[in-house]
Amino acid sequence: MSGPTSSALPVVSLRKITKIFGQVRANSAINLDIYPGRIKALLGENGAGKSTLMSILAGHYLPDSGEILIHGQARAFGSTKDAIKAGIGMVYQHFMLVDAMTVAENVFLGQEPSFFLSRRKLEERVSELATTYGLDLNPRAQVGDLSMGERQRVEIIKLLQRQSQVLIFDEPTAVLTPPEAEQLFVALRTMAAQGKAIVYISHKLGEVMALADEVAILRKGQIIDEIAVQDVHSQADLAQRMVGREVLLQVERTPLEPRQNVLRMQGVCSGMLRDATLRVRKGEIVAVVGVAGNGQKELVETICGLRTPDQGDISILGKTWKEFFHNPPWQGGLSYVPEDRMGLATCSHMDLVDNFLLTTRQGYCAGIWLRREQARAKAQELIELFHVDPPDVRCLARELSGGNLQKMVLAREFHRCPRLIVAEQPTQGLDVSAIEDVWATLLAAREEAGIVLVTGDLSEALALADRIVVMFAGRIVAAFAADDQEQVQRIGMMMAGMDTADAPTDPALLPA
Amino acid sequence: MTPEILLSLLAATVQAGTPILYATLGEILTEKGGVINLGVEGMMLVGALAAFLTALYTQSPVLAFAVGGLAGAAMAALHGVVCLWFLGSQIVSGLALTIFGTGLADFFGTAYNGIQAPGFNKFSLTVLSDLPVLGPIFFRQDALVYVSYVLPVSLWLFLRYTRWGLAIRTVGESPAAARAAGLRVQFWRWAALLGGGVLIGMGGAYLSLAYTHLWTNGLTAGRGWIAVSLVIFAFWRPGRAMLGAYLFGGVMAFQLRLQAMGTVLPSSILLMLPYTLTIIALSMSSWRGNQSKAPAALGRPLEPCE
Repeated sequence: MSGPTSSALPVVSLRKITKIFGQVRANSAINLDIYPGRIKALLGENGAGKSTLMSILAGHYLPDSGEILIHGQARAFGSTKDAIKAGIGMVYQHFMLVDAMTVAENVFLGQEPSFFLSRRKLEERVSELATTYGLDLNPRAQVGDLSMGERQRVEIIKLLQRQSQVLIFDEPTAVLTPPEAEQLFVALRTMAAQGKAIVYISHKLGEVMALADEVAILRKGQIIDEIAVQDVHSQADLAQRMVGREVLLQVERTPLEPRQNVLRMQGVCSGMLRDATLRVRKGEIVAVVGVAGNGQKELVETICGLRTPDQGDISILGKTWKEFFHNPPWQGGLSYVPEDRMGLATCSHMDLVDNFLLTTRQGYCAGIWLRREQARAKAQELIELFHVDPPDVRCLARELSGGNLQKMVLAREFHRCPRLIVAEQPTQGLDVSAIEDVWATLLAAREEAGIVLVTGDLSEALALADRIVVMFAGRIVAAFAADDQEQVQRIGMMMAGMDTADAPTDPALLPA
Repeated sequence: MTPEILLSLLAATVQAGTPILYATLGEILTEKGGVINLGVEGMMLVGALAAFLTALYTQSPVLAFAVGGLAGAAMAALHGVVCLWFLGSQIVSGLALTIFGTGLADFFGTAYNGIQAPGFNKFSLTVLSDLPVLGPIFFRQDALVYVSYVLPVSLWLFLRYTRWGLAIRTVGESPAAARAAGLRVQFWRWAALLGGGVLIGMGGAYLSLAYTHLWTNGLTAGRGWIAVSLVIFAFWRPGRAMLGAYLFGGVMAFQLRLQAMGTVLPSSILLMLPYTLTIIALSMSSWRGNQSKAPAALGRPLEPCE
């Protein structure tokens, strides 16, 4: 393990931290030093133990064994409050904010300077911190009205207000638009320059390379490598260290001859969706790209029958929208792989058999009875085929990690032999090897189906799609073949609503 | 209707609204902390009886009022044991609390039916009582009414401008955020529940100590339920709660006057008025999704974590 070159002493040293949940060794004997003024990335697949380790440091869990040294002194954190007092703060993936309160109130929660609160003083202090660290924020705004990027800034200011010396970020860019992510990186560098220690949990290799000073790689609860970023040769190098085998982020894609239409939309309006015309044929993947909130959600909901079109014609597998959704076939029809795996695709407190039956129940009925035993056997077979871990249908959905849950959803949906697939952010939050699996599955499915792939990740669109459509302000502003390099270069501008060639290019929006 | 009759009707409105106001503010405090308490009716009855008995045996109305509040808190504590400690259903526990409180008050109170006890009497509040119109309506009441005038604004200030108020609102909106901020979620939920219980008990105590000066079974006559619905009508805002409480007080006072004057309307129709108004007010205030003004974590049990 190569130590960092800095001569400074670590702010935090983790020594032989072990945490066991039931049968799972989430962390086993982990040693880690965190230095002031440096950005340390924690890289690892889903379930590698990154979040557990940092939750221990932030006072959420007590380790089963091992100790935490702050400036060389052993400390035990019984609660997040203890950790906050010791100068350790965490920005969670799910923001811990109160929507109904203002920014200033959220920032001072639990840290109120006096019994009676002067709003003006609180707001001034927030503005002051925001300016110091280059975080643009209105202290009087209601948190419920803010964008994800702004909410994250509230979380950061919360930590800065508490004089946190160690700031932990758990997958901070997962919810951000590219420009917001850029802004965050600038702020992180500013904080590090002012002597804060930053810990950055991620599985996005590019970000880690661009941002971090050093990388600690976790696999199966252990730190298997710790290196300075300048010693990393390439993303592929990092990926290989992370999963222990070569990962090809480039997938093999042989173009298929597109066949009959599976989806036709003509001038469809619904909510913010305006005049959408789209055609998807069997044998092709059509990627819908755009900045989130530009009508993709409405498009997907309309195609999947969750939202009634106000205007226009839709035909799905040769039937009108109304005919199709009057009695949609459970097999050979439409499969929807939603972005919200835990909310829309599965019920968190039901086991995998029940979750399997959510969309396939019509195939496992005998009169009013469910043939549960048959369904159980099929579900078991499928989750083994798709390498869902743990391979046990008695698991509850919430016990699965994000990647495994997604595999389970895909296994279920592909069992239905769909002819039209709508996949929404299918690899969001997944680790490299899971992404590879999902991509391969989608490409294989293309043989028998037309696929609408809604994604915020341009590299995903470019890797998988045969055609790309760009959405802006509820309209489909461009549609072109994925190998049309000239158009591909202009996607960034199209996503920003600038369709003229002489408009300035925003580099953050272009594919890396 | 002569001005004198109108003024006396409005004065009666304030008095009839006061117990509802206490209870509504108590329920607002409770719900701001994220706990639904449907036991208000039972808690008010127990508070009313405890206050009545204390006044009867000690002759001290002030002590009796305090005991009424404590009795409300004790009832709230039962709710807390079920919902906060054992994470039981707040709805079921609250309904049970109402049934339990009604039974308890009947059991111990039946022997005292119709017996009088000392209580709070009306007095004129110095020069304010000489104000035209406002004086006779608002400032020739009893001490507990005067206290109730400052309660809504105090509760509002408390919730909005104090550290404790912020903590209570946070555990009602997002226990996870509260926990991340290092707040003791259980503690603040208990605090809101018990504090609310005190106010609700006092609402009951007002009935036996100032409104009637005597005990009868079923003294609250549904006022607890009106308070529960007024919280929604008030969008969880203390100021609107005052408005709502007086609106209901007005209808109650009005139907009493009508009965006394002898109208052709059957008395059962008149008795229905406040409750009909409850339903109307609730439907109207829920008309355009105002339910979303409820504390976000209202009624959700805490995840047993950490």
